[in-house]
Amino acid sequence: MVSVLVHAQDLPLTVVSNSKGAPEEMKFTSLKSVLRGEKLRWPDGTKITIALMKTNTPGGSSICRKIYNMSADELNKYWLALVFQGKGQAPVFFNSASELEAFIAQTPGAIGITTSTGGNTRTVSVDGKKTL
Amino acid sequence: MKKFALLFFLFCILHTYGQNTTIKGFVDVNTLYQDKKLSFNLGEQDLFINSELNDRFTFLGETVFKFSLQSPTTFDISIERIVMKYNFSGNHNIVLGKHHTPINYWNDTYHHGRVFFPTIGRPLLFEDNFIPLHTTGLGIQGQNLGDSRFGYDVLIGNGIGSNDFTDNDKAKSVTVAAHIKPIDNLRFGASFYHDDISAGAKIHDGHVLTHEVKQQLYSASVAYFGKKFEFLTEGTFARNNSDSTGGQNSIGMYAYTGVKLHEKFVPYVRFDFMDYAEEEIYFNKNDAVSIITGLRYVINYLAVVKLEYQYQDRKLTGSTSKVTAQVAIGF
Repeated sequence: MVSVLVHAQDLPLTVVSNSKGAPEEMKFTSLKSVLRGEKLRWPDGTKITIALMKTNTPGGSSICRKIYNMSADELNKYWLALVFQGKGQAPVFFNSASELEAFIAQTPGAIGITTSTGGNTRTVSVDGKKTL
Repeated sequence: MKKFALLFFLFCILHTYGQNTTIKGFVDVNTLYQDKKLSFNLGEQDLFINSELNDRFTFLGETVFKFSLQSPTTFDISIERIVMKYNFSGNHNIVLGKHHTPINYWNDTYHHGRVFFPTIGRPLLFEDNFIPLHTTGLGIQGQNLGDSRFGYDVLIGNGIGSNDFTDNDKAKSVTVAAHIKPIDNLRFGASFYHDDISAGAKIHDGHVLTHEVKQQLYSASVAYFGKKFEFLTEGTFARNNSDSTGGQNSIGMYAYTGVKLHEKFVPYVRFDFMDYAEEEIYFNKNDAVSIITGLRYVINYLAVVKLEYQYQDRKLTGSTSKVTAQVAIGF
Protein backbone atom coordinates (compact mmCIF):
# COMPACT_ATOMS: atom_id res chain seq x y z
CA MET A 1 0.00 0.00 0.00
CA VAL A 2 2.79 2.39 0.95
CA SER A 3 4.67 1.66 -2.24
CA VAL A 4 1.53 2.31 -4.28
CA LEU A 5 1.06 5.68 -2.58
CA VAL A 6 4.67 6.68 -3.08
CA HIS A 7 4.43 5.66 -6.71
CA ALA A 8 1.22 7.66 -7.12
CA GLN A 9 2.81 10.76 -5.67
CA ASP A 10 5.78 10.44 -7.98
CA LEU A 11 3.83 10.26 -11.24
CA PRO A 12 5.18 12.77 -13.75
CA LEU A 13 2.56 15.30 -14.80
CA THR A 14 2.19 17.05 -18.14
CA VAL A 15 0.27 20.27 -18.64
CA VAL A 16 -1.80 20.13 -21.82
CA SER A 17 -4.10 22.65 -23.45
CA ASN A 18 -6.34 23.31 -26.38
CA SER A 19 -4.62 25.26 -29.15
CA LYS A 20 -6.94 28.21 -28.47
CA GLY A 21 -6.41 30.30 -25.38
CA ALA A 22 -3.55 29.00 -23.27
CA PRO A 23 0.03 30.11 -23.99
CA GLU A 24 2.66 27.55 -24.96
CA GLU A 25 4.82 28.44 -21.95
CA MET A 26 3.85 29.38 -18.42
CA LYS A 27 5.47 30.06 -15.10
CA PHE A 28 4.49 27.67 -12.34
CA THR A 29 2.97 30.52 -10.29
CA SER A 30 0.74 31.49 -13.25
CA LEU A 31 -0.24 27.86 -13.83
CA LYS A 32 -1.16 27.46 -10.18
CA SER A 33 -3.23 30.62 -10.28
CA VAL A 34 -5.10 29.41 -13.37
CA LEU A 35 -5.68 25.95 -11.92
CA ARG A 36 -6.99 27.42 -8.66
CA GLY A 37 -9.70 29.13 -10.68
CA GLU A 38 -8.30 32.59 -10.04
CA LYS A 39 -8.30 33.53 -13.71
CA LEU A 40 -11.52 33.34 -15.69
CA ARG A 41 -10.17 34.13 -19.18
CA TRP A 42 -7.00 33.83 -21.22
CA PRO A 43 -5.45 37.02 -22.58
CA ASP A 44 -7.26 36.46 -25.93
CA GLY A 45 -10.61 36.45 -24.09
CA THR A 46 -11.30 32.72 -24.32
CA LYS A 47 -12.93 31.31 -21.20
CA ILE A 48 -10.64 29.08 -19.16
CA THR A 49 -11.93 25.54 -18.62
CA ILE A 50 -9.95 23.36 -16.21
CA ALA A 51 -9.72 19.61 -16.72
CA LEU A 52 -8.32 17.36 -14.01
CA MET A 53 -8.02 13.69 -13.18
CA LYS A 54 -10.44 12.60 -10.46
CA THR A 55 -8.88 12.98 -7.04
CA ASN A 56 -9.25 9.26 -6.29
CA THR A 57 -7.05 8.28 -9.25
CA PRO A 58 -3.25 8.04 -8.95
CA GLY A 59 -2.90 10.99 -11.35
CA GLY A 60 -5.44 13.02 -9.37
CA SER A 61 -3.55 12.30 -6.17
CA SER A 62 -0.33 13.58 -7.74
CA ILE A 63 -2.09 16.71 -8.96
CA CYS A 64 -3.49 17.43 -5.48
CA ARG A 65 -0.04 17.25 -3.94
CA LYS A 66 2.17 18.77 -6.62
CA ILE A 67 -0.07 21.54 -7.94
CA TYR A 68 -2.44 22.40 -5.13
CA ASN A 69 -0.48 21.30 -2.05
CA MET A 70 -3.76 19.86 -0.76
CA SER A 71 -5.19 16.48 0.10
CA ALA A 72 -7.92 15.07 -2.15
CA ASP A 73 -10.55 16.04 0.43
CA GLU A 74 -9.17 19.56 0.71
CA LEU A 75 -9.22 20.00 -3.05
CA ASN A 76 -12.80 18.76 -3.36
CA LYS A 77 -13.85 21.09 -0.56
CA TYR A 78 -11.97 23.99 -2.18
CA TRP A 79 -13.91 23.64 -5.42
CA LEU A 80 -17.24 22.99 -3.77
CA ALA A 81 -16.85 26.14 -1.70
CA LEU A 82 -15.73 28.26 -4.64
CA VAL A 83 -18.58 27.16 -6.89
CA PHE A 84 -21.29 27.75 -4.31
CA GLN A 85 -19.83 31.07 -3.25
CA GLY A 86 -20.58 31.98 -6.84
CA LYS A 87 -16.93 32.77 -7.53
CA GLY A 88 -15.96 30.15 -10.05
CA GLN A 89 -16.83 27.11 -12.11
CA ALA A 90 -15.58 23.70 -11.04
CA PRO A 91 -13.07 21.78 -13.15
CA VAL A 92 -14.24 18.88 -15.26
CA PHE A 93 -12.93 15.67 -13.69
CA PHE A 94 -11.99 12.53 -15.62
CA ASN A 95 -11.21 8.90 -14.81
CA SER A 96 -8.54 8.48 -17.48
CA ALA A 97 -5.87 10.53 -19.19
CA SER A 98 -7.26 9.67 -22.63
CA GLU A 99 -10.72 11.02 -21.75
CA LEU A 100 -9.17 14.18 -20.34
CA GLU A 101 -7.02 14.73 -23.43
CA ALA A 102 -9.97 14.16 -25.78
CA PHE A 103 -11.98 16.76 -23.84
CA ILE A 104 -9.15 19.29 -23.99
CA ALA A 105 -8.66 18.74 -27.72
CA GLN A 106 -12.36 19.55 -28.30
CA THR A 107 -12.75 22.47 -25.89
CA PRO A 108 -11.36 25.93 -26.75
CA GLY A 109 -9.70 27.50 -23.70
CA ALA A 110 -9.28 24.17 -21.91
CA ILE A 111 -6.17 23.42 -19.86
CA GLY A 112 -5.48 20.33 -17.82
CA ILE A 113 -2.98 18.01 -16.26
CA THR A 114 -2.40 14.53 -17.61
CA THR A 115 -0.23 11.63 -16.60
CA SER A 116 0.56 10.64 -20.19
CA THR A 117 2.70 12.52 -22.70
CA GLY A 118 -0.24 14.49 -23.98
CA GLY A 119 -1.44 12.59 -27.07
CA ASN A 120 -2.95 14.93 -29.65
CA THR A 121 -3.15 17.90 -27.32
CA ARG A 122 -0.65 20.73 -27.09
CA THR A 123 1.89 20.47 -24.28
CA VAL A 124 2.44 23.60 -22.22
CA SER A 125 5.93 23.92 -20.83
CA VAL A 126 6.14 25.15 -17.25
CA ASP A 127 9.24 27.06 -16.16
CA GLY A 128 10.87 25.64 -19.29
CA LYS A 129 10.06 22.00 -18.45
CA LYS A 130 7.73 19.62 -20.27
CA THR A 131 6.83 17.63 -17.17
CA LEU A 132 6.23 18.52 -13.54
CA MET B 1 -41.96 42.18 -30.97
CA LYS B 2 -39.62 42.89 -28.05
CA LYS B 3 -40.85 39.74 -26.26
CA PHE B 4 -40.20 37.69 -29.36
CA ALA B 5 -36.71 39.13 -29.71
CA LEU B 6 -35.96 38.36 -26.05
CA LEU B 7 -37.23 34.79 -26.36
CA PHE B 8 -35.20 34.32 -29.53
CA PHE B 9 -32.10 35.67 -27.76
CA LEU B 10 -32.55 33.31 -24.80
CA PHE B 11 -33.20 30.39 -27.15
CA CYS B 12 -29.97 31.15 -29.01
CA ILE B 13 -27.99 31.32 -25.74
CA LEU B 14 -29.31 28.01 -24.48
CA HIS B 15 -29.39 26.25 -27.83
CA THR B 16 -25.89 27.06 -28.95
CA TYR B 17 -24.20 26.24 -25.64
CA GLY B 18 -24.22 22.96 -23.77
CA GLN B 19 -25.79 24.14 -20.54
CA ASN B 20 -23.90 22.90 -17.52
CA THR B 21 -26.02 22.68 -14.35
CA THR B 22 -25.01 21.43 -10.91
CA ILE B 23 -27.47 20.76 -8.10
CA LYS B 24 -26.23 20.26 -4.56
CA GLY B 25 -27.75 20.21 -1.10
CA PHE B 26 -26.62 20.75 2.46
CA VAL B 27 -28.31 19.96 5.74
CA ASP B 28 -27.51 19.78 9.44
CA VAL B 29 -28.99 18.14 12.51
CA ASN B 30 -28.21 19.43 15.98
CA THR B 31 -28.40 18.24 19.57
CA LEU B 32 -28.62 20.93 22.23
CA TYR B 33 -28.18 20.63 25.99
CA GLN B 34 -29.33 23.73 27.84
CA ASP B 35 -31.10 24.36 31.17
CA LYS B 36 -30.78 20.67 32.08
CA LYS B 37 -32.75 19.69 28.98
CA LEU B 38 -31.68 17.81 25.89
CA SER B 39 -33.26 18.77 22.54
CA PHE B 40 -32.80 17.55 19.01
CA ASN B 41 -33.36 20.01 16.21
CA LEU B 42 -33.23 20.14 12.46
CA GLY B 43 -31.11 22.86 10.97
CA GLU B 44 -31.56 24.31 7.53
CA GLN B 45 -31.85 22.25 4.37
CA ASP B 46 -30.06 24.22 1.72
CA LEU B 47 -30.61 23.56 -1.98
CA PHE B 48 -28.16 24.96 -4.53
CA ILE B 49 -28.38 25.26 -8.26
CA ASN B 50 -25.42 26.48 -10.24
CA SER B 51 -25.78 26.79 -13.99
CA GLU B 52 -23.56 27.99 -16.81
CA LEU B 53 -25.85 29.37 -19.53
CA ASN B 54 -23.03 30.28 -21.86
CA ASP B 55 -19.36 31.13 -21.48
CA ARG B 56 -20.17 34.52 -19.94
CA PHE B 57 -23.56 34.14 -18.27
CA THR B 58 -24.04 32.06 -15.09
CA PHE B 59 -26.78 31.56 -12.52
CA LEU B 60 -26.60 30.64 -8.85
CA GLY B 61 -29.69 29.85 -6.80
CA GLU B 62 -29.84 29.05 -3.08
CA THR B 63 -33.12 28.04 -1.46
CA VAL B 64 -33.45 27.15 2.20
CA PHE B 65 -36.09 25.03 3.92
CA LYS B 66 -36.10 25.84 7.62
CA PHE B 67 -38.07 25.63 10.82
CA SER B 68 -40.49 28.50 11.41
CA LEU B 69 -43.17 28.80 14.09
CA GLN B 70 -45.00 31.33 11.91
CA SER B 71 -45.64 28.76 9.21
CA PRO B 72 -48.69 26.44 9.44
CA THR B 73 -46.40 23.52 8.62
CA THR B 74 -43.67 24.85 10.98
CA PHE B 75 -41.34 25.01 7.99
CA ASP B 76 -40.69 27.92 5.66
CA ILE B 77 -39.04 28.15 2.29
CA SER B 78 -36.83 31.14 1.71
CA ILE B 79 -34.86 32.21 -1.30
CA GLU B 80 -31.49 33.15 0.08
CA ARG B 81 -29.72 33.94 -3.17
CA ILE B 82 -30.53 34.35 -6.82
CA VAL B 83 -27.47 35.64 -8.58
CA MET B 84 -27.26 36.18 -12.32
CA LYS B 85 -23.71 36.94 -13.29
CA TYR B 86 -22.33 38.30 -16.53
CA ASN B 87 -18.58 38.11 -17.01
CA PHE B 88 -17.99 41.18 -19.19
CA SER B 89 -14.18 41.22 -19.15
CA GLY B 90 -11.36 39.20 -17.60
CA ASN B 91 -12.15 38.75 -13.91
CA HIS B 92 -14.82 41.47 -13.84
CA ASN B 93 -18.52 40.63 -13.54
CA ILE B 94 -21.89 42.32 -13.41
CA VAL B 95 -24.18 40.68 -10.86
CA LEU B 96 -27.93 41.01 -10.56
CA GLY B 97 -30.36 39.47 -8.08
CA LYS B 98 -30.40 38.67 -4.38
CA HIS B 99 -26.93 38.48 -2.89
CA HIS B 100 -25.18 37.86 0.38
CA THR B 101 -24.14 41.45 1.07
CA PRO B 102 -20.35 41.36 0.53
CA ILE B 103 -19.79 43.26 3.76
CA ASN B 104 -17.36 40.88 5.41
CA TYR B 105 -15.52 37.59 4.95
CA TRP B 106 -18.09 35.31 6.60
CA ASN B 107 -21.06 36.63 4.68
CA ASP B 108 -19.14 36.65 1.42
CA THR B 109 -17.63 33.19 1.87
CA TYR B 110 -20.09 30.95 3.70
CA HIS B 111 -23.63 30.19 2.63
CA HIS B 112 -26.23 28.33 4.64
CA GLY B 113 -24.50 24.97 4.32
CA ARG B 114 -23.10 24.38 7.81
CA VAL B 115 -20.57 21.86 6.56
CA PHE B 116 -18.28 24.78 5.67
CA PHE B 117 -18.76 26.83 8.86
CA PRO B 118 -15.74 26.75 11.17
CA THR B 119 -18.14 26.83 14.16
CA ILE B 120 -21.66 25.44 14.60
CA GLY B 121 -23.45 28.74 14.14
CA ARG B 122 -22.84 32.23 12.86
CA PRO B 123 -21.19 34.93 14.97
CA LEU B 124 -23.38 37.32 16.99
CA LEU B 125 -22.79 40.00 14.34
CA PHE B 126 -25.24 37.93 12.30
CA GLU B 127 -27.60 36.70 15.03
CA ASP B 128 -28.06 40.29 16.26
CA ASN B 129 -28.82 41.58 12.75
CA PHE B 130 -25.95 43.99 13.17
CA ILE B 131 -25.14 43.72 9.47
CA PRO B 132 -27.50 43.37 6.50
CA LEU B 133 -27.16 39.75 5.39
CA HIS B 134 -28.84 40.08 2.01
CA THR B 135 -29.13 42.74 -0.63
CA THR B 136 -31.37 42.55 -3.66
CA GLY B 137 -29.90 44.69 -6.39
CA LEU B 138 -27.28 45.25 -9.03
CA GLY B 139 -23.53 45.22 -8.66
CA ILE B 140 -20.14 44.95 -10.20
CA GLN B 141 -17.36 42.79 -8.85
CA GLY B 142 -13.81 41.80 -9.65
CA GLN B 143 -11.56 39.17 -8.17
CA ASN B 144 -7.94 38.02 -8.15
CA LEU B 145 -6.61 41.11 -9.88
CA GLY B 146 -2.85 41.62 -9.96
CA ASP B 147 -0.18 40.05 -7.77
CA SER B 148 -1.98 40.88 -4.52
CA ARG B 149 -5.16 39.23 -5.84
CA PHE B 150 -7.18 42.34 -5.27
CA GLY B 151 -10.95 41.97 -5.30
CA TYR B 152 -13.78 44.48 -5.15
CA ASP B 153 -17.57 44.63 -4.93
CA VAL B 154 -19.85 47.60 -5.51
CA LEU B 155 -23.50 46.77 -4.88
CA ILE B 156 -26.61 48.94 -5.01
CA GLY B 157 -29.76 47.45 -3.55
CA ASN B 158 -33.21 47.92 -2.13
CA GLY B 159 -31.86 48.41 1.37
CA ILE B 160 -33.04 47.60 4.87
CA GLY B 161 -36.81 47.55 5.36
CA SER B 162 -37.39 46.47 1.76
CA ASN B 163 -38.28 43.03 0.51
CA ASP B 164 -37.23 41.05 -2.55
CA PHE B 165 -40.14 42.38 -4.56
CA THR B 166 -40.16 46.10 -3.93
CA ASP B 167 -38.22 48.86 -2.22
CA ASN B 168 -39.96 50.50 0.73
CA ASP B 169 -38.45 53.89 -0.05
CA LYS B 170 -36.51 55.85 -2.67
CA ALA B 171 -33.15 55.45 -0.98
CA LYS B 172 -30.83 52.71 -2.17
CA SER B 173 -28.31 50.88 -0.04
CA VAL B 174 -24.70 51.07 -1.22
CA THR B 175 -22.02 48.52 -0.38
CA VAL B 176 -18.41 49.08 -1.37
CA ALA B 177 -15.95 46.35 -0.43
CA ALA B 178 -12.34 45.53 -1.25
CA HIS B 179 -9.94 42.78 -0.29
CA ILE B 180 -6.49 41.45 -1.06
CA LYS B 181 -5.04 37.94 -0.82
CA PRO B 182 -1.27 38.54 -0.66
CA ILE B 183 -0.52 34.84 -0.09
CA ASP B 184 -2.57 31.66 -0.39
CA ASN B 185 -5.20 31.29 2.35
CA LEU B 186 -4.74 34.83 3.71
CA ARG B 187 -7.28 37.56 3.04
CA PHE B 188 -7.55 41.15 4.29
CA GLY B 189 -10.84 42.91 3.65
CA ALA B 190 -12.63 46.18 4.35
CA SER B 191 -16.04 47.53 3.42
CA PHE B 192 -18.41 50.46 3.71
CA TYR B 193 -22.20 50.23 3.76
CA HIS B 194 -24.67 53.10 3.64
CA ASP B 195 -28.45 53.11 3.77
CA ASP B 196 -31.20 55.59 4.63
CA ILE B 197 -33.73 53.50 6.52
CA SER B 198 -37.20 55.06 6.50
CA ALA B 199 -39.40 55.58 9.52
CA GLY B 200 -42.00 52.82 9.55
CA ALA B 201 -39.64 50.29 7.98
CA LYS B 202 -39.95 46.76 9.31
CA ILE B 203 -36.49 45.79 10.45
CA HIS B 204 -35.10 42.84 12.39
CA ASP B 205 -37.52 40.60 14.29
CA GLY B 206 -40.52 42.51 12.86
CA HIS B 207 -39.59 45.61 14.86
CA VAL B 208 -40.91 48.83 13.27
CA LEU B 209 -38.51 51.74 13.12
CA THR B 210 -40.01 54.90 14.65
CA HIS B 211 -37.65 57.46 13.07
CA GLU B 212 -35.61 57.57 9.91
CA VAL B 213 -32.05 56.28 10.44
CA LYS B 214 -29.10 56.99 8.22
CA GLN B 215 -26.85 54.00 8.73
CA GLN B 216 -23.18 53.70 7.93
CA LEU B 217 -21.27 50.49 8.60
CA TYR B 218 -17.48 50.28 8.45
CA SER B 219 -16.16 46.72 8.50
CA ALA B 220 -12.75 45.08 8.42
CA SER B 221 -11.63 41.47 8.45
CA VAL B 222 -8.55 39.27 8.48
CA ALA B 223 -8.88 35.61 7.52
CA TYR B 224 -6.24 32.91 7.39
CA PHE B 225 -7.09 29.24 6.85
CA GLY B 226 -3.81 27.40 6.49
CA LYS B 227 -2.64 23.82 6.71
CA LYS B 228 -2.12 23.95 10.49
CA PHE B 229 -3.66 27.12 11.77
CA GLU B 230 -6.95 28.95 11.23
CA PHE B 231 -7.67 32.53 12.20
CA LEU B 232 -10.61 34.78 11.40
CA THR B 233 -11.51 38.10 12.97
CA GLU B 234 -14.00 40.69 11.81
CA GLY B 235 -15.39 43.86 13.24
CA THR B 236 -18.06 46.34 12.25
CA PHE B 237 -18.42 49.88 13.50
CA ALA B 238 -21.98 51.15 13.04
CA ARG B 239 -22.98 54.79 13.07
CA ASN B 240 -26.73 55.33 13.06
CA ASN B 241 -27.95 58.90 12.68
CA SER B 242 -31.51 59.95 13.43
CA ASP B 243 -33.20 63.33 13.99
CA SER B 244 -34.28 62.32 17.48
CA THR B 245 -31.05 60.93 18.93
CA GLY B 246 -28.29 62.21 16.66
CA GLY B 247 -25.34 59.99 15.79
CA GLN B 248 -25.00 56.77 17.79
CA ASN B 249 -21.95 54.51 17.60
CA SER B 250 -22.09 50.77 18.18
CA ILE B 251 -19.54 48.07 17.57
CA GLY B 252 -19.65 44.33 17.00
CA MET B 253 -16.75 41.94 16.48
CA TYR B 254 -15.61 38.37 16.81
CA ALA B 255 -12.37 36.44 16.67
CA TYR B 256 -12.03 32.75 15.82
CA THR B 257 -8.96 30.57 15.91
CA GLY B 258 -8.48 26.85 15.37
CA VAL B 259 -5.51 24.49 15.22
CA LYS B 260 -5.43 21.42 13.01
CA LEU B 261 -4.03 18.78 15.35
CA HIS B 262 -4.61 16.35 12.54
CA GLU B 263 -6.24 16.78 9.14
CA LYS B 264 -9.49 15.63 10.73
CA PHE B 265 -9.42 17.20 14.24
CA VAL B 266 -9.65 20.94 14.79
CA PRO B 267 -10.12 22.29 18.32
CA TYR B 268 -11.20 25.93 18.21
CA VAL B 269 -12.33 28.96 20.20
CA ARG B 270 -14.42 31.97 19.24
CA PHE B 271 -14.94 35.19 21.14
CA ASP B 272 -17.84 37.54 20.28
CA PHE B 273 -18.37 41.04 21.57
CA MET B 274 -21.31 43.39 20.92
CA ASP B 275 -21.51 46.90 22.37
CA TYR B 276 -24.48 49.12 21.58
CA ALA B 277 -24.88 52.85 22.17
CA GLU B 278 -27.30 53.77 24.97
CA GLU B 279 -29.42 56.06 22.74
CA GLU B 280 -29.50 53.61 19.85
CA ILE B 281 -32.94 53.26 18.20
CA TYR B 282 -32.12 50.81 15.41
CA PHE B 283 -30.46 47.90 17.24
CA ASN B 284 -31.86 45.93 20.17
CA LYS B 285 -29.16 47.24 22.54
CA ASN B 286 -28.57 43.82 24.03
CA ASP B 287 -24.84 44.07 24.71
CA ALA B 288 -23.15 40.70 24.65
CA VAL B 289 -19.98 38.81 25.40
CA SER B 290 -19.76 35.22 24.23
CA ILE B 291 -17.07 32.56 24.41
CA ILE B 292 -17.22 29.35 22.42
CA THR B 293 -14.87 26.43 22.65
CA GLY B 294 -15.33 23.45 20.39
CA LEU B 295 -13.96 20.54 18.43
CA ARG B 296 -14.50 19.91 14.72
CA TYR B 297 -14.10 16.44 13.29
CA VAL B 298 -13.94 16.25 9.52
CA ILE B 299 -15.20 12.88 8.31
CA ASN B 300 -14.65 14.03 4.75
CA TYR B 301 -15.32 17.19 2.74
CA LEU B 302 -19.05 16.44 2.73
CA ALA B 303 -19.52 15.45 6.37
CA VAL B 304 -18.41 17.32 9.48
CA VAL B 305 -19.22 16.79 13.17
CA LYS B 306 -18.82 19.61 15.71
CA LEU B 307 -19.15 19.71 19.47
CA GLU B 308 -19.29 23.09 21.20
CA TYR B 309 -19.69 24.74 24.58
CA GLN B 310 -20.91 28.35 24.59
CA TYR B 311 -21.11 30.80 27.45
CA GLN B 312 -22.96 34.02 26.66
CA ASP B 313 -23.59 37.04 28.85
CA ARG B 314 -26.25 39.50 27.68
CA LYS B 315 -27.11 42.88 29.11
CA LEU B 316 -30.87 42.36 28.84
CA THR B 317 -31.27 38.60 29.05
CA GLY B 318 -28.48 37.58 31.43
CA SER B 319 -26.04 34.75 31.12
CA THR B 320 -26.60 31.38 29.47
CA SER B 321 -24.50 28.38 28.71
CA LYS B 322 -25.17 25.47 26.38
CA VAL B 323 -23.55 22.47 24.78
CA THR B 324 -24.35 21.80 21.13
CA ALA B 325 -23.42 18.98 18.80
CA GLN B 326 -23.95 19.19 15.07
CA VAL B 327 -23.70 16.84 12.15
CA ALA B 328 -23.54 18.76 8.88
CA ILE B 329 -23.43 17.14 5.47
CA GLY B 330 -23.45 17.96 1.79
CA PHE B 331 -25.33 15.70 -0.60
